[in-house]
Amino acid sequence: MNVKREKLTTLSFFLSPMAVMVVLFYLVPLIMTVYISFTRMRNWNVSKYLTEFVGFYNYHRLLYMFQHDPTFKAVLLTTVVFVGITLIINVFGGLALALATFFIEDKPASAFRLLWLLPRMSPIAVYSLVWYYFFHGSEIGTLNSILMKLGVISQPIPWGQIVPWGAWSIIIFVNGLVGVSFGMIVFTSALNQIPKELVIAARVDGASSWQISRRILIPMIRWHLLYVLTWQFLSLLTTYPHLFLLVQWDLVNGDYGTTLALYVFNTAFGMGEQDQGLAAAAAVLLSVIGIIGGFVTLKVLKFERMMKRPRGDF
Amino acid sequence: MKDVETRPRRYSRVIILTILLASLPLIVGFSLLVISSFSTEMVTNLNPSSFHLTLENWISVFHGKLATTGGIRAPILRITLNTLIVALGVAGVVTAVSALAGYSLSRVNFRGRKHMMILLLVLHAFPGVALIVGVYLLYRLTFPQSMDIVRLYSFMYVIFARAALEIPMSVWLMKGFFDTIPWEFEWSGIIDGASRITVWRKIMLPLIKPGILAVALFAFLAGWQDIIYVRTFLIDQTLATFIEANIEAEFSHMPMIAAAGTLYLLPTIIFFITAQQLLLQGYSGGIKG
Amino acid sequence: MIEMVRIILDSITKKFDDFIALRNISLKIEDKEFMALLGPSGSGKSTLLYTIAGIYKPTGGRIYFGDRDITDIPPKDRNVGLVFQNWALYPHMKVFDNIAFPLELRKVPRQEITVKVREVARMLHIEDLLDRYPWQLSGGQQQRVAIARALVKEPDVLLLDEPLSNLDALLRIEVRAELKRLQKELGITAIYVTHDQAEALAMADRIAVIREGKILQVGTPDDVYYRPKYRFVGGFLGNPPMNFVDAEVDAENGYLNVYGSRIPVPAQYRELVEKLGIKEVLLGFRPHDAEVLREKREGLAGEVYSFEPLGREQIVTVSVDGAFVKVFAPEGEHFSFGEKVTVELREDRIVLFDKKTEKALEFLV
Repeated sequence: MNVKREKLTTLSFFLSPMAVMVVLFYLVPLIMTVYISFTRMRNWNVSKYLTEFVGFYNYHRLLYMFQHDPTFKAVLLTTVVFVGITLIINVFGGLALALATFFIEDKPASAFRLLWLLPRMSPIAVYSLVWYYFFHGSEIGTLNSILMKLGVISQPIPWGQIVPWGAWSIIIFVNGLVGVSFGMIVFTSALNQIPKELVIAARVDGASSWQISRRILIPMIRWHLLYVLTWQFLSLLTTYPHLFLLVQWDLVNGDYGTTLALYVFNTAFGMGEQDQGLAAAAAVLLSVIGIIGGFVTLKVLKFERMMKRPRGDF
Repeated sequence: MKDVETRPRRYSRVIILTILLASLPLIVGFSLLVISSFSTEMVTNLNPSSFHLTLENWISVFHGKLATTGGIRAPILRITLNTLIVALGVAGVVTAVSALAGYSLSRVNFRGRKHMMILLLVLHAFPGVALIVGVYLLYRLTFPQSMDIVRLYSFMYVIFARAALEIPMSVWLMKGFFDTIPWEFEWSGIIDGASRITVWRKIMLPLIKPGILAVALFAFLAGWQDIIYVRTFLIDQTLATFIEANIEAEFSHMPMIAAAGTLYLLPTIIFFITAQQLLLQGYSGGIKG
Repeated sequence: MIEMVRIILDSITKKFDDFIALRNISLKIEDKEFMALLGPSGSGKSTLLYTIAGIYKPTGGRIYFGDRDITDIPPKDRNVGLVFQNWALYPHMKVFDNIAFPLELRKVPRQEITVKVREVARMLHIEDLLDRYPWQLSGGQQQRVAIARALVKEPDVLLLDEPLSNLDALLRIEVRAELKRLQKELGITAIYVTHDQAEALAMADRIAVIREGKILQVGTPDDVYYRPKYRFVGGFLGNPPMNFVDAEVDAENGYLNVYGSRIPVPAQYRELVEKLGIKEVLLGFRPHDAEVLREKREGLAGEVYSFEPLGREQIVTVSVDGAFVKVFAPEGEHFSFGEKVTVELREDRIVLFDKKTEKALEFLV
């Protein structure tokens, strides 16, 4: 009995800080978000709307908007296009980078890997600032000045305002570069775990880098491909900080630069009329997709098998 | 060596050139920002005549002057300090919580351990935007009445709320680091009469110092680069909200913003130079699970 | 250390989920005895050691230290010293602090700690190394530190988990002589896990041979070496191991038919063979308990398959109608491939095993 109590004390020492954080910043907020989705909460007028229940009103509005509101339709379409294309860029870009750096000397390889980590490690505001200048609609925009020097265009073009593909291209480009590093790192570490004898043996047999990649390396990191694919899908579905700034700074069109996640944020915290009830309802929808996606990921990747039991009975 | 050394060097040069070409926008983009901060005009138009070397922007930034004309002043040092407080706070909270939880998930056998680990993975994948609505309501409901502690409270809140976002992944990362320590160290301590807490403190923590450093570094960067939580909860300004707010403001002078941006980028660059291996390993360490 | 420490394992079973690591193990280890647990990797010998240390809790059975039932007592209250295979020296502590750590945990006063650490360091000849970090030491020195750390708290039992396997071959032989002497000098009960039969034979008072979670045989080195209870024991001990050839008993005439050769049933088995009425047996003999002869004699007829000079002697592999046996021969003799020879066996050292159960006949009754 005494032993059990001691174990309980020990466990609570180690786990209670995390438990408090999870309860306070995940579970309670989640319940609150669901709760808000059933109220008429707007402009964060807590005292007025916190107890005003409206049932499924917000969800009905979402459905109605889905059918009739062109802005909301644009947001959903943007979400699908953005997640789909960025995902492909992320996975294949990451794979290409990992394979390419696998075949070159260590020094330039890690230099390039580090360079591609830059988008992820830089402050979001700075990273967005870089692309703000790059795609800027005036002649200070790098892209415009290149094209004008080449004589392709005579006037600076506000690329982000060309809907839908101008705006889409920019948000996909900007987020695509951030996501590539994830795949790159995962694939690189997976590639490094492949016994190097396999590569050397294939070389001795006369295989080219391309053949080695296709026949040996890629088949051996299939699990990691799946892992990056599913994980990155979830991240892209829920990411919004970069998009937020691009839209906020008016670099891209508001409707076709906004994904569902950003829509939730802007509806709840944006400028002008805020509608937390509606935002919460949309957030709940997003969460349902996220949780289902998360569990599918766990099942597909068989994460449970990776969890070794601790050793010893003390 | 992972490949034969007799392979023609030509091939690897072709590969290097290809990657370099693909990385060009990245290199150009960041370089132009940094160069512009030393120029009187933005050089983002790739026009060499726009470049006139000056330290004016940096001087102005440190003086908190925002526009070349006019008297608007922003306390940039204070703003930088705010950013640092948030980043250090997040790093501290995340490191402490994950060093504790990571140990027990790696080493202690208890009922619900598996479920807790799965829960953490799901939480990591959970849409942050769905949480922030609720997190903000909690903020509003717990907001202190007394005006004296409002700012302090907002700092505390943003630190803990932002740290919470990093915790699932960091705990997994830290668990991964604990997993690499041979069990014999633990057993040795236990047989000699140490409690689990003593083992953790006296044996394990010193052994996973690199892991702690990696987690702290990632958490620091997460806090440092954050914009969403900072603009939503923090009353004071950080470099992120400063840049966000001034980009479109008419009175702002663009090279000066570039200087502020470069200043904001500095820790990232410093980590890039000093902790390369840690950065590259840290990511893969957590991912391997 | 005046107290008698006798360890009794009473039907210990240990399961990990579906895997049974230890099956009903009973073993008595006498006071001041040096007991080796010998077995191949995965046999459960380390699990047994860790169960005695208290790191694992047996699924069934009891453990006694003397009269005390310690099955449910946590490791720290068992007063055992444990030396690990990888030594597990804390890399962030100097040698002194490594050795002092168990005492610090017991809240021994600082002065006393210093005295005791110095004492044990002197005993193990590492008093000059106290100020260094483990990574500054050689393998042999690290190993001494690990033993010092285990001994400093004056344990009732010293448990050693393959402590020599990380040392190079020459050093290993040197250290094992020293370790054996140390154990006797201190008069401490020791349990020593190893997969190296030579180590077990060289050091232990008694050896328990373990396979697949079961104890196959417990006995003195002589016992397990010359009177193996199972074919496995004979095959696991000795280098090269015991030879085994199929034999058929011709009870009427008192012969064994071995691939066309006939040898008399060894005297010590005559009665037993008759009593058991057994037909098919395995004939076991050690390489040094036979001789390769060029002339035709009573023995196993065969031809030289290969020979390996080892300096002082050579190992001759003889093919006896397709079955290979290894026999030691003196250095001077020269053999050629394919040469017809006879392997003459030393009768009193022959062991006969039942072919079905692979158990030696004398243990069948």
